[in-house]
Amino acid sequence: MDFFIDGLRRGIELILGGDPEVYDITLLSLRVALISTILACGVGVPVGFLIGTTRFWGRRAAITALNTMLAFPTVVVGVLIWGLLARRGPFGGAELLYTWWAIVIAEVVLAAPIAAALTAAAVQGIDPRVRRTALTLGASPLRAHIAVARAARFALFTAVVVAFGRVLAEVGAAMIVGGNIRHYTRTLTTAVALATSQGDFALAMALGLILFAIALTVNVLLQLFQGRVNA
Amino acid sequence: MLRASGIEHAYGGRPVLSIESLELPAGTITALVGPNGSGKSTLLRILAFLEQPRSGTVQLDGHSIRTTADRRRARRRVTLIEQYPLLFRGTVRHNLLYALSLHGIKGVEASRRTDAALERLHVGELRDRSGEDISDGERQRVAVARALALRPAVLLLDEPTGVADRAATAQLYRVLEEERSQQTAICFASHQLEDAYRWSSRLIALADGRASAVTPENLFRTVIPEGTGTRTARVGPLEVQVFTDKCGPATIAIPADELLVSLEPLHSSARNHFPGKVMRISEDGRGSVTLIVDVGVDLAVRITRASLEELGIKLGSEVVLSIKVMAVRVF
Repeated sequence: MDFFIDGLRRGIELILGGDPEVYDITLLSLRVALISTILACGVGVPVGFLIGTTRFWGRRAAITALNTMLAFPTVVVGVLIWGLLARRGPFGGAELLYTWWAIVIAEVVLAAPIAAALTAAAVQGIDPRVRRTALTLGASPLRAHIAVARAARFALFTAVVVAFGRVLAEVGAAMIVGGNIRHYTRTLTTAVALATSQGDFALAMALGLILFAIALTVNVLLQLFQGRVNA
Repeated sequence: MLRASGIEHAYGGRPVLSIESLELPAGTITALVGPNGSGKSTLLRILAFLEQPRSGTVQLDGHSIRTTADRRRARRRVTLIEQYPLLFRGTVRHNLLYALSLHGIKGVEASRRTDAALERLHVGELRDRSGEDISDGERQRVAVARALALRPAVLLLDEPTGVADRAATAQLYRVLEEERSQQTAICFASHQLEDAYRWSSRLIALADGRASAVTPENLFRTVIPEGTGTRTARVGPLEVQVFTDKCGPATIAIPADELLVSLEPLHSSARNHFPGKVMRISEDGRGSVTLIVDVGVDLAVRITRASLEELGIKLGSEVVLSIKVMAVRVF
């Protein structure tokens, strides 16, 4: 137990002491997570909206594909992206492997299906009268979609937060395509894995605490947003 | 104004609607009557361009509405108020302003139209209340106000008085009557036959998705007391003598063609006499006239134009309706 308490104490000292490496890793993680979430939601939310509100040929297959992608092991996605970005791979010329952009690409592939699936479920759960009422009052199809999105705003916001959480907590793909290079592609999760394997429990605890603090902050913001909108 | 022809519609292979031809001319009120599941709501959604029929065409002002862009344009002139209308989040006023903003109407004009429409439906005092905090009846009236603020060319209403009391019902239909006089084409679905007769200029009866040949006039749910032979069934304040072996819950039909109209009570074999007041007179153009007589409930009576003139019956005339016990059908 002392071992735990000692690790926790030293971890807090590292954070409060302004350890440059800890801050470096945190900033890179936040940058990767934010950009990946924006890109993943930029693709996933409209696709989910389409699947949730439109009847088209192959819709069931699309839903099955999405749900399968949700359960995709992250290391498999990491290996696939590694293969695509490796020098011998089809996109080797871009020289993105072992850069933080490679991590972003892998995280987008992992998080976009989550954003799409949760968006589809959110808009499917909305009262169909919302769209019909907007249309019969003269709304364009786009304005009617906006009315549906407004009605589903909490669930949509949750989809974004879950996608962000997935990206922030992901380790397998980030390790494979980023390479966990110090000051360059080392994120919070890959650093935790490395620090633990090297026996630096204090650093692992410090980074773990930061991950926890970010998750807590995001969820508190979500609660505040819901409270403000409901007020 | 709005014309539908050859409409066929099905859900999952099950036919739900088959309408050869239907027209909603400007300045008329058409009532759609029929039991639950007869296709009224589906037909209204098709006429509102919210659902596309499997086959058939809907024309607005003589133009066939075929493409997505056509439907979008048509929806700006045709508005449907659903049976359980939805108000968006926000206040009642915001709901009307939002609808008007969809038509590009903002600022002073939007405020003016909003206030006028709410006052017309007697829901002005609700303007700052949340749409979620008002009763079902109030929500229905607000939804009608929201539609009227848009000044649609065609107004479609699905059971508009489903949750309204008698006074609110009459108030709403009076507003529709005013709207009709402004050349709006109005169509409402109702299971209240009395309302349908009283407030519509034309009536279409739907049964199993088809326009029925039999007009379901003077049909009432009642309870036949225990016993045999002649019994007295109550229909609202009305006591109707019927001859039947049935007892318990039943439907009675008082055929419109078999009711006699007189100015004084008749001394005859008819044992049912219902004094009342003529509320509506409509002609079918072939020499017959349908009267709606308020005898406690609204009864439709069909007589010839010659009889009408001979008796000097006008709107508001006091008359007595008579019918033989044996002519009242029980089923």
